[in-house]
Amino acid sequence: MTKRMRGAILAAVTLAGCTQTRQVADIGFRPPEGRYRLIVMRPDVSVGLLTAGGAVELREDWTLAARANILHAIEAQQAARGGTVTVAATREVAGSTPAAVADLDRLHQAVGTAIRVHKYARAKLPTKKGRFDWTLGDDAVRFGRATGYDYALFLHAEDSFASAGRVAVQALGMLGCAVGFCVIAQGGRQAAFASLVELKTGRIVWFNTLASSVGDIRTADGADRMIASLLDRMKPGSAVTASAR
Amino acid sequence: MTTRRAVVAGCVCGCAFAGAARSARVRPAEMQALVGPGYRPADADERGMWHDFARLEAEIASSNRLLGSPAMQRYAEGVIARLLGDRAAETRVYLIHDHAFNASMAPNGMMIVNTGLLARCRDEAQFATVLGHECAHYLRRHSLQRWRDMRTKTGIIAFVGAGTGLAAGVAAAAGAYPGTWIDVANAINAALVLSIMRFTRAQEAEADAYGVRLIEQAGYPPGAASAIWQQVIEEDRASARARGRRYRDATRSAMSSHPPNRERMLDLSASARELEAASAPPRRYDGGREAWRAAIAPLRARLLEEQIGLNDPGVSLYLVTALARDGWDGLLRYCEGEAYRLRDEPGDAARAATAYARAVASDDAPPEAWRAHGYALLKAGDADRGRQSLARYLERRPDASDAAMVRFALTR
Repeated sequence: MTKRMRGAILAAVTLAGCTQTRQVADIGFRPPEGRYRLIVMRPDVSVGLLTAGGAVELREDWTLAARANILHAIEAQQAARGGTVTVAATREVAGSTPAAVADLDRLHQAVGTAIRVHKYARAKLPTKKGRFDWTLGDDAVRFGRATGYDYALFLHAEDSFASAGRVAVQALGMLGCAVGFCVIAQGGRQAAFASLVELKTGRIVWFNTLASSVGDIRTADGADRMIASLLDRMKPGSAVTASAR
Repeated sequence: MTTRRAVVAGCVCGCAFAGAARSARVRPAEMQALVGPGYRPADADERGMWHDFARLEAEIASSNRLLGSPAMQRYAEGVIARLLGDRAAETRVYLIHDHAFNASMAPNGMMIVNTGLLARCRDEAQFATVLGHECAHYLRRHSLQRWRDMRTKTGIIAFVGAGTGLAAGVAAAAGAYPGTWIDVANAINAALVLSIMRFTRAQEAEADAYGVRLIEQAGYPPGAASAIWQQVIEEDRASARARGRRYRDATRSAMSSHPPNRERMLDLSASARELEAASAPPRRYDGGREAWRAAIAPLRARLLEEQIGLNDPGVSLYLVTALARDGWDGLLRYCEGEAYRLRDEPGDAARAATAYARAVASDDAPPEAWRAHGYALLKAGDADRGRQSLARYLERRPDASDAAMVRFALTR
């Protein structure tokens, strides 16, 4: 085995075994404790097959299984934390009116995307440097007043699995690496993010993202792991905001 | 350039022309539904697709961009029922605020119709043309086939890409020039990308052919289909002319998802003649102009405002003039005035004033026409008549959001 080939395989193995999370929070944020009421908004979950060409083909059965697993995993994870937790499987059971919940959900999608683009990805905003002060504004406050919850947790999770064709493309690419022309084809991967909204102020006080090339949320165990990585070690703002500069 | 490179370049050009070449017209008689009534997906990829669109549909069903006109909703459903009969129950139509001339069909029967389409149709037959085209996509399972075609071809592209790395590496190790392999791979992959676009254009041609047959069977004049494309082309030309640009059809590209507009118009017109000739005894068609005018009347002011607000004067003036082929009315005159006022070129203020004056001369002028007429008169120094006109506006719209401002203008 050439040194180059060993290097390529090592790199592939390192890439394959990786789960990364990165949280940011409002500087004054303290993880909820004691008596608090939290609602987990309908989690947005999708699971698909990664085609040879690199597109994700959504699978209904996988998605339904994963959604059920994620709901269950959140319930189990939150049960250990002391607060009163409601997990809303649908918008209808989240309280307030379905239209208001849908609006809040969409607003969060927009703000959550902005956070990922401007806080995590490269498009950093100079005015947001060294701080985390995103908000859902009055809509969230109104929702909190109408329902009596202190916090709302939003969660998005997706998972994909390489098809046989994709695995073959990856293998071919790796052989190329061995002779010096690398064409890296990414395999199946997990991506998730969660955000905690303080309903008294409407502010997003804590945000976490997860990227992983291992795991399987179609299984109960895999969903538990994802939720544990994403939500277990919620840190106070003073501990994470400095690192998010 | 080496010989091999020249060959590769030749291949790429050849493929590009093949990609852009005019394809033969699809005959309406050849078009049949590929799925039976009440079809539900069975394969994993199609089930996934339906599941995905069901989620999207739930979002659209609660969207604040819905037109929110129960009467127009019923009317659109009625037209689909005429086109599809019993199978209309498999579709759901959503009328959405979007100024672009467009409509779309999801694999699960969810149809989206833009207000930009409603604004441009002159009769029910034109409206039915677009709905029929979208229904044809559903009956022919185009979304699924498009996905499968793309999945196969992008898969080959990925294999070619990865294989090229290996081949180039081996070639380099053997002391050969590796670039040739990369050129070959790029040529193959470029051809595949063109082939994906060609596939979608073929589907659009099918939907056009099937759609025109659906409207003919429903008793609409099949010529309505080419008429609407004629309007689209004229509108694009008017827009380009007003902006001082040369007209260029963006759909005349090997990368276009739809066939060129002119080609579609000519094919639809040939298909219409074919269908008319084949109907024996000759059918009596009804374009449904009166039904359309009645259905669209309560919405037209809003629809035109949405278009004219874009301030593309070429489009605005074309649209108003095209709709006025069926007769000018107060609303169209007011819109003409607004288009001139927004364009604001030398002489436009006078043109706008004339249009407003004509608008208020008609019984069906919208209240805003009185306001516009009033301000135009005040500007021209005709204070008395200007105030009278503004007062007419306030009589008709006492609760208008700018009522206080207009009252202030009256005191001066």
